[in-house]
Amino acid sequence: MTTRLSARGLVRRFPGVLALGGVDLDAGPGEVVALVGENGAGKSTLLKCLAGLEQPDEGSMTYEGGAWAPRSTADAASGGVALVHQELCLAENLSAAENIGLGREPRRGWMPLVDREVLRERAAHALERVGATFGPDVKVETLAAGQRQLVEIAKGIDQDARVLILDEPTSSLTSRETARLFELVHQLRADDITVLYVSHRLTEILELADRAFVLRDGQNAGHLTRDELTRDAMVRMMVGRDLAPPAARAVAGEAAGAPVLELKELVSDAFPAAAVDLQVRPGELVGLAGLVGAGRTELLETVFGLRAPVSGEVRVEGQPRRFRGPRDAAAAGLALVPEDRKLQGLLLEEGVRVNTALATLDRRSRRGIVDRAAEREVAAAQVDRLGVRTSGIEQVVQTLSGGNQQKVVVGRWLAAEPAILLMDEPTRGVDVGAREELYLLLERLAAEGLAVLFASSDMEELLRLADRVVVLHDGQVTGTLDRSLATEEAVMELATGGGLEAEGSTTI
Amino acid sequence: MTAPNHLLREGLTAMIHSARPLLAALSMGAALLAAACQPGQADDGVRIAYVSNGVDPFWDVAAAGARAAEAEFGVDVEVVFPSPATAEVQRQKVQDLLVRGINAVAISPVDAENMTPFLDTLTEKVHLITHDSDAPKSKRRCFIGVDNYEAGRACGELLVEALPDGGEVAIFVGRLEQDNARLRRQGVIDALLGRPADASRSDAVDAALSGNGFTIVATRTDDFDAARAKSNVEDTLVKYPELAGVAGLFAYNAPACVEALKGAGRLGTVAIASFDEQDATLDGIAAGHVLGTVSQNPFQYGYESVRILKALCEGDESVLPEGGILSTPPTVVKKDNLEAFRAKLKADIASGSGK
Amino acid sequence: MTNSSGASLAQPDAGSRLAGWGKVLGIFGLLVAIVVTTGAMNPRFFGAENLENVLQRTALFGIIGIGAAFPIVTAGIDLSIGSVIALVATCLPPLLDAGVPAGPAVIAVLLLAAGLGLIHGLLITRLGLQPFVVTLCGLLVYRGVARYIVDDQTVGFGDSYDGLRTLATGRPFSIGALDVPAPALVLLAVAVLAAIFLGRSVWGRWMLALGRNPTAARYAGVPVERVTILAYVICSLLAGVGGVLFALDVNSVQPASMGNFYELYAIAAAVLGGCSLRGGEGSILGVVLGAAVMRLLYNSIVLLGIPSQLEFAIVGGVLLLGAIADEVVRRLAEARRARERARARTERTT
Repeated sequence: MTTRLSARGLVRRFPGVLALGGVDLDAGPGEVVALVGENGAGKSTLLKCLAGLEQPDEGSMTYEGGAWAPRSTADAASGGVALVHQELCLAENLSAAENIGLGREPRRGWMPLVDREVLRERAAHALERVGATFGPDVKVETLAAGQRQLVEIAKGIDQDARVLILDEPTSSLTSRETARLFELVHQLRADDITVLYVSHRLTEILELADRAFVLRDGQNAGHLTRDELTRDAMVRMMVGRDLAPPAARAVAGEAAGAPVLELKELVSDAFPAAAVDLQVRPGELVGLAGLVGAGRTELLETVFGLRAPVSGEVRVEGQPRRFRGPRDAAAAGLALVPEDRKLQGLLLEEGVRVNTALATLDRRSRRGIVDRAAEREVAAAQVDRLGVRTSGIEQVVQTLSGGNQQKVVVGRWLAAEPAILLMDEPTRGVDVGAREELYLLLERLAAEGLAVLFASSDMEELLRLADRVVVLHDGQVTGTLDRSLATEEAVMELATGGGLEAEGSTTI
Repeated sequence: MTAPNHLLREGLTAMIHSARPLLAALSMGAALLAAACQPGQADDGVRIAYVSNGVDPFWDVAAAGARAAEAEFGVDVEVVFPSPATAEVQRQKVQDLLVRGINAVAISPVDAENMTPFLDTLTEKVHLITHDSDAPKSKRRCFIGVDNYEAGRACGELLVEALPDGGEVAIFVGRLEQDNARLRRQGVIDALLGRPADASRSDAVDAALSGNGFTIVATRTDDFDAARAKSNVEDTLVKYPELAGVAGLFAYNAPACVEALKGAGRLGTVAIASFDEQDATLDGIAAGHVLGTVSQNPFQYGYESVRILKALCEGDESVLPEGGILSTPPTVVKKDNLEAFRAKLKADIASGSGK
Repeated sequence: MTNSSGASLAQPDAGSRLAGWGKVLGIFGLLVAIVVTTGAMNPRFFGAENLENVLQRTALFGIIGIGAAFPIVTAGIDLSIGSVIALVATCLPPLLDAGVPAGPAVIAVLLLAAGLGLIHGLLITRLGLQPFVVTLCGLLVYRGVARYIVDDQTVGFGDSYDGLRTLATGRPFSIGALDVPAPALVLLAVAVLAAIFLGRSVWGRWMLALGRNPTAARYAGVPVERVTILAYVICSLLAGVGGVLFALDVNSVQPASMGNFYELYAIAAAVLGGCSLRGGEGSILGVVLGAAVMRLLYNSIVLLGIPSQLEFAIVGGVLLLGAIADEVVRRLAEARRARERARARTERTT
């Protein structure tokens, strides 16, 4: 096997942290090599070293037989190694062509003017190769996540990349877009391009990868060839131990009584044509399924008062309520753990105490002055209850792992003792190990009588947790599946808008 | 290479792409403007712009003079107080007035040296005179104002008279870029040091100056900020506890000195010599806190400016003073002539607001 | 942690304690350095008279600096402070001349100032305009209105209203030879209230939270709009208090020049004192120290006989040094956090 790109003994230190402690990697032409590991295992740093964003402190890299030490992404790209970022780095106000040529615009002779025709041609060619169905003149802001990804990959193609690094490429793609991306990866492999593929979704790696390198704590935890690649093997190497199979629900729910949350023909501003009816009873875990853009987040935000409903009503404990904002919703006993905890959930620079107490400050104050003792107490209680791993309630949440950050947001709302917990993507960006803890927590909360409505893109998660799965398509409920009938196929059928009459589903 | 073509095409495409709403708005605006102002309604009468170098009660008195003349001679006078008082703002105001069909300008240039080219272009279109502060190198027809050097000397003499044994003196002024500020300061210094009169002398700000028993310890500027003017005096009092006298060269400086001395409990022990006729200054003279003030007779600035410009507009060159400088004599106001001065000031202002 | 230093919400934590206290300590060090240098070169600096002068000016500028800190904490800005000062200062003498008693007149102009803040806040939250734009327009509008109201005339209180003027010029009590200026007491009251508000109250906490992350604050049920409006009301109100005191102090209000650039002095004091323009951080003690540093600089320029022309260069240079020091401290804190993260990870794996 020939090697195109390799790394030997890479070390990268940050103040107080050893991000890479001597990592090896190699990848050959026409190969899809997966890089697997938990958050913080060193995957990103390794990729950044290969793509010129970071420079290793020790160790060596080779590319096409020569030494490889790119000083910047532009440097790496001109050599033929292109990085497609996890969070897409496109200028939304520019067209696809302008993005593809960004920083390498063809000039008109000596003048500092862009040669638009050449740029368009080049971009059109690159977009065609990645199978894009849109032209080079489309503004990026009008493109869907999957299409934007194609623009990024086309950018790499346009740079004649021989190594393409895809960092979590499917995290914001719909399943159709994912399928299209896979086809593209296969095609790139056939074109003798090396693809370095990083993903949390092990099924994707099983499907795509020729080989996989597993990292743990900045070290090589193992290497798996195509034959050795199994889910269990990867997980074992990633966490360094065996995990209990995540199949069954551990704590049995006992949904009982009248619905505590009812949506009656609720229409959100995002989907003015779709009215949603839905009920959640105390002790029930209801999952909201659907493709990206199906309106799950919008529905939760409308319930929580973040969006004004166009029509219809939200009933809490039988009473119709009209929330002018999250404050009203929280006062009525609702809580929302949002999708993007860094953007919508946490004050990253503040400590666990401040973050935990934020939603319930007025309850923990006297005459407008915060009662610090009560505040500390509630923070400590939630840390205890949720098992947040922290050095103390003053630890800055930025320094916590994703799972622990998520627990802090959950703790903030549990401190408000809600009757209804809304969660949007409960385990996004949470490590495999911590994920299971969160599931157990939710089950326990439900068993204590909490009504939980959660949206998830993770099929395993939906099937693992939900008593009922409500499937949305274009803002519309296309079906509700009871736990016994909820299978991956059934959910996908409804989510793609087909099979409204699918067996076992109750259509609305 | 057809660079210009490319440039043009790029430019046009970019503009059309990005500026369609703007173009629409512009064309609408243009239509409105065209409807609103009918061109060619310029009036045949004499229209005079009277431009100050800032905003100050001093200029209110000058404006009253201009207004009085406006009524008397039957001309149109536009009084302009530029703010902030910079050369740039002054220039823009005058340019705007030109568009409105002004045919004569009296101006107190903020920055004589650098505004000279601009003033010269003005003389091609309108009759131009300077007042208050001159631009001697420009083609202005004449200058109306006190001899600032002599006025400065008069201010200095107030201190010499009050402090026969001499002592430390500090000078406070808004800024030193202006001709009048520089000349006044030099006049004060020369009078204190007992030097013979020479308006072309120029002492550096940080030069050590002493003689005739007097030491000039500091010249502090405040950029027309009254609070700064006051704190400058306070700090100078701390630095020079032996300070015997202060001279405030701009209208608000003496009132600031009074306030600072009052705060420091040294009113009466430090002599104040002043310029111009702010109420607080005149009150200070009445109370004996201020030795006296040098009034430039701003009413005359306004009145004479309008009188001369009107004559020039009508082709009468006989009004021009010899040597191009019309010196209005400074009036030294002290306790004994205070009441008469106040009465005249009141009458002047009343005559100007009569219109 | 004293309540006057609400620098960061999470003080006892290593990283943010370094950031929060570091800033206050840094500015305090700067202050000491200026005091020592100036005092060594001119011992009269330590005279009671000079200290009173510096205290007086620090008080006046400290009050508007504290005001400026509030919008900054919400990651906004208020550029209209100088013009609000001018407007308030211009309105007060004519009101008094019209026969309105001193108390009601002062309350009226302060209500006017608070009203302007309310307008700023409403435009920013309800219409979604940018704070920079709203308050920049305020800067222009209020200056123009002030000049129009009194027709560019200088107004003052003359020799009347000496009773009212003691608010700014009075020396109610002495500490040794030092007669404490009345505005210093006003500053003390304002600073203590502001520090309690920002450091201890629910609303202050909300303000810091929304400065950190407005979206997260909103999702957590913080009444983001009302808190933002309040920040601008407090700022304009304190600018109004400053305007009244400035007017009473100098006794000569020239509407075209009164308070010019004071918003920048106020913002500089706030930033020097540890407020981040990124929002979410602010220390009232720091702001007061920041205002003191600015005034001390002007004071020492005169006392050391440095030419007036160099003033801005010196003040600007010191501000820049402050900003550089702040960034260095921030990076130190970040490095510390990274170490902490590493420690947390080791703990997790063991």
